[in-house]
Amino acid sequence: MLRVLLLIIFLFASINLYAKNPISSPNFDDIRKEIIADEKYVFDDKNILIKVPKFADNPLQVPIFVDAKKIKNAKRLILFADFNPITKIIDMDLEKLLPIVSLNIKVAQETPIRALVLDKNGLWHIGSENIKSFGGGCSVGSLSSLNEELKKLLGKGKISVYKNNTTFKIKSSIFHPMETGLVFGNEEFYINKIRIKTDKNIVLSTIKTYSSISENPRFTFETKEETKNFILELHDTSGNEFLLSSKK
Amino acid sequence: MRVFILIIAFIAVTSAKDFDYNLKAIQLAKNSYYIYGKEEYFSIQNGGDIANVSFIETNKSVILIDTGSSFAYGNQVKRLIEEKTKKPVKHIINTHHHSDHFLGNNAFKNATIYSDKFTAKEIKKNGELYIKNLVALLGETMKGTKIKNVDIILQNDNKDFDGYKLHFFYLKGHTKSDLVIYDKNTNILYASDLVFNNRALATIDANLKEWVNSLNLLKKIDYDICVPGHGKAFKDKTPLDLDIKYLNFLKTTLEYGNKNGLNVFEILDLKVPKEIKNFSMFEEEYERSIINLSNKQ
Repeated sequence: MLRVLLLIIFLFASINLYAKNPISSPNFDDIRKEIIADEKYVFDDKNILIKVPKFADNPLQVPIFVDAKKIKNAKRLILFADFNPITKIIDMDLEKLLPIVSLNIKVAQETPIRALVLDKNGLWHIGSENIKSFGGGCSVGSLSSLNEELKKLLGKGKISVYKNNTTFKIKSSIFHPMETGLVFGNEEFYINKIRIKTDKNIVLSTIKTYSSISENPRFTFETKEETKNFILELHDTSGNEFLLSSKK
Repeated sequence: MRVFILIIAFIAVTSAKDFDYNLKAIQLAKNSYYIYGKEEYFSIQNGGDIANVSFIETNKSVILIDTGSSFAYGNQVKRLIEEKTKKPVKHIINTHHHSDHFLGNNAFKNATIYSDKFTAKEIKKNGELYIKNLVALLGETMKGTKIKNVDIILQNDNKDFDGYKLHFFYLKGHTKSDLVIYDKNTNILYASDLVFNNRALATIDANLKEWVNSLNLLKKIDYDICVPGHGKAFKDKTPLDLDIKYLNFLKTTLEYGNKNGLNVFEILDLKVPKEIKNFSMFEEEYERSIINLSNKQ
């Protein structure tokens, strides 16, 4: 009996040891609970690579790159930033996408950024990186929403596909103000859903996006799904739907 | 007790001195000097002393080219000039609208400020924002810094300042409008931020192609000394060639990245020629350049 108890204590201690947050923050646990509730998780910087600038000069456009390819058969990838007023960034269903994404985000101040990747056994792996910045990115109104051409340009975008061995890189950008709604007088207005399809209407992924993503967003996704043409279907909070097709 | 507190408060107030820039004037010709700015980014430690400022003593007055990042800096430039000459600073030329070059303007109450049209407009429009940004970076050092707008818009190739003629080149590339000053009397070229000497180029408002064109034009001038906006003054054309190389490298690297679908971090991992990597501030400026210029593409 004592042995079992000791074993339990030992296991508990070692889980705790593994669970040490590499960048501690007072908000982390609350946000994690909100997103994955009581599901099991481990901190796993070994298998999740997050790249951010050494210093994010322009808090409105901070490029980030997340690569969790080392986690095989990953099911879902969620990104959030602890100290952003809009913490969530993107929530990707990975059924037919690789756990890789690059995009630009806004930051309100220096903040840890987290990548949560769900593996096939139902365990969340969490990668962490710190973004250094003087901030101010979330409370600034969108510049493009002041653009008189907004109506003409809204939803205009492009998509290019790059083949690399067995994977396809889908790179896209679209003109959209991605208004956070945090600035007095500006209502929130942003792309909140992206569906990636093939031209044969096979859905590769449905992705939830949030207004912490920079205006005129640019996304890069990767897939092993072989097709000649990818279509991105982007929806915004005002019910607009935009289509981008790689077909020339 | 109250008296004691008052004394302490008095000492605290009177001993709260301005930031000491410890400026030195480096002589280039009999009547010409420049003050070398540190090859660093804005910090509390350097008080924003990161750009070169030059001055020319004429028969009647002093012409000052750029005024640094703060009121305190401007004041200390004024004091430094007073050590060299009794003549007043009557003319100030702002070469472009970046905050490390014009925020010392208001230390010179009696001077006339000159710039070209675009720079004057930008200072008026965004000056307060520049101060706000630098307060965040430099804090107390920015005390007393206020916008002093441009008084006279330069339009001609030549201008006579109390009998002292200067030649102007209205160029662009580092910003939408960069003023280069050529002094035929001493054969010194004040190249503004179109030239960085072995210091990584700041490209926040740059147009790479136009910048290279401007540098090619400057190369044709047969100057004895060139004072860059950042880095030490020099005599030959090597720094200009290196700057051209750096800008072309940025351009081809971004084009390569774009063509191959690379993200900024993959672009940053590409190999960089050694002489470019050796520039001071390479790490910071290169990353900043790749990120900002990719966003514009």
